[in-house]
Amino acid sequence: MKINKYEEMNAFAIDMLREIGSIGTGNAATALSTTLSAKISMSLPEVKIMGYNQVIDFLGGPEKIVSAVLVHMTGAFSGIMLYLLDIDFVNIVFERLSLDKIEHFDEIDEIRASAIAEVSNIIISSYANAVSQLSSIPINLSVPAMAINMLGGIMSVPMSEYGYVTDTIMIVDGKFIYNGGEMTSNLIMLPDIKSLNFLLNKLGVFNE
Amino acid sequence: MSKEITVGIADMKFTRMEGRLITYALGSCVGVCLYDPVAKIGAMVHIMLPKKLENGGDGNVYKFADTGIRATVRKMEVFGAVKRRITAKIAGGAKMFDIPGGGALGNIGQRNVESVRQTLKEESIPILSENVGANYARTLIFDCSNGQGNIRSFGRKEVIF
Repeated sequence: MKINKYEEMNAFAIDMLREIGSIGTGNAATALSTTLSAKISMSLPEVKIMGYNQVIDFLGGPEKIVSAVLVHMTGAFSGIMLYLLDIDFVNIVFERLSLDKIEHFDEIDEIRASAIAEVSNIIISSYANAVSQLSSIPINLSVPAMAINMLGGIMSVPMSEYGYVTDTIMIVDGKFIYNGGEMTSNLIMLPDIKSLNFLLNKLGVFNE
Repeated sequence: MSKEITVGIADMKFTRMEGRLITYALGSCVGVCLYDPVAKIGAMVHIMLPKKLENGGDGNVYKFADTGIRATVRKMEVFGAVKRRITAKIAGGAKMFDIPGGGALGNIGQRNVESVRQTLKEESIPILSENVGANYARTLIFDCSNGQGNIRSFGRKEVIF
């Protein structure tokens, strides 16, 4: 069996992806706890397959300003990982690192920007690492690129990357919890269709 | 306050005489505003990719610069626009991430802009103004009563074009 579109996945395949997301997010939460020396827990990730406009509304609307770090996965498992942070999440990071909080993203300076980039990078790497270990597929990550801008514009990057193949986008989305409150950030792993087939095959989803 | 019509991603909307067309946060996508000033018919198409593939299957024509612009012009003509009067304003095509080493899709924004220019040239539609490239997202608003465009972006002044 082979899928050609994200929406062709059955419940079993989706469950498997949720499980992978859960292990990845768990690993990332541990890494984040260590970095910030704070207790961070996580919620159960969701797997969602949505149309372009829907996905942006789900993530908070096109004009919302977010900090985004993007990494390309290459090799046997290729695709994009995107980590989006809200201002409240960013401020928790600053608080733990003894930096002053900011009100708006345009107040950001170099030190704060590199703190965000570093934290995002740690989260992405530990997530990718967990997925790689679980599936025994090596995952190579590119150098991270960062942008602070409107959500809609940022999401246009993964969307156009898959635009020729599909009209929908799949997100595996896990949330972090700090001090009882949800830290709004979205870790999105977007494997391309070929790699998704490879992964699901390797994990035995198609062997029933 | 005149009516506001939202144009989604890979979507097209048009209106006559009044109303404002708006598309939010164009990143690497390009927003093309087409306008017949006599009939006062204005259309906006939000394209995502430069060209439709030869056997691109069903697909949505408004996703691609070439098919999207042509389909929009045909729609406008059906509603009374005259092709030789149509002018264009374009915005978007940014490079949101500075990806080290480029990558195949590193500069999809620029390719989108080039394909839009090429298609407009083939259709003999003049570009009155453009606000493209750089590395930030743009919200594009087009007023169909006077053909004026407006661009909103993060941390920058609003631009009239």
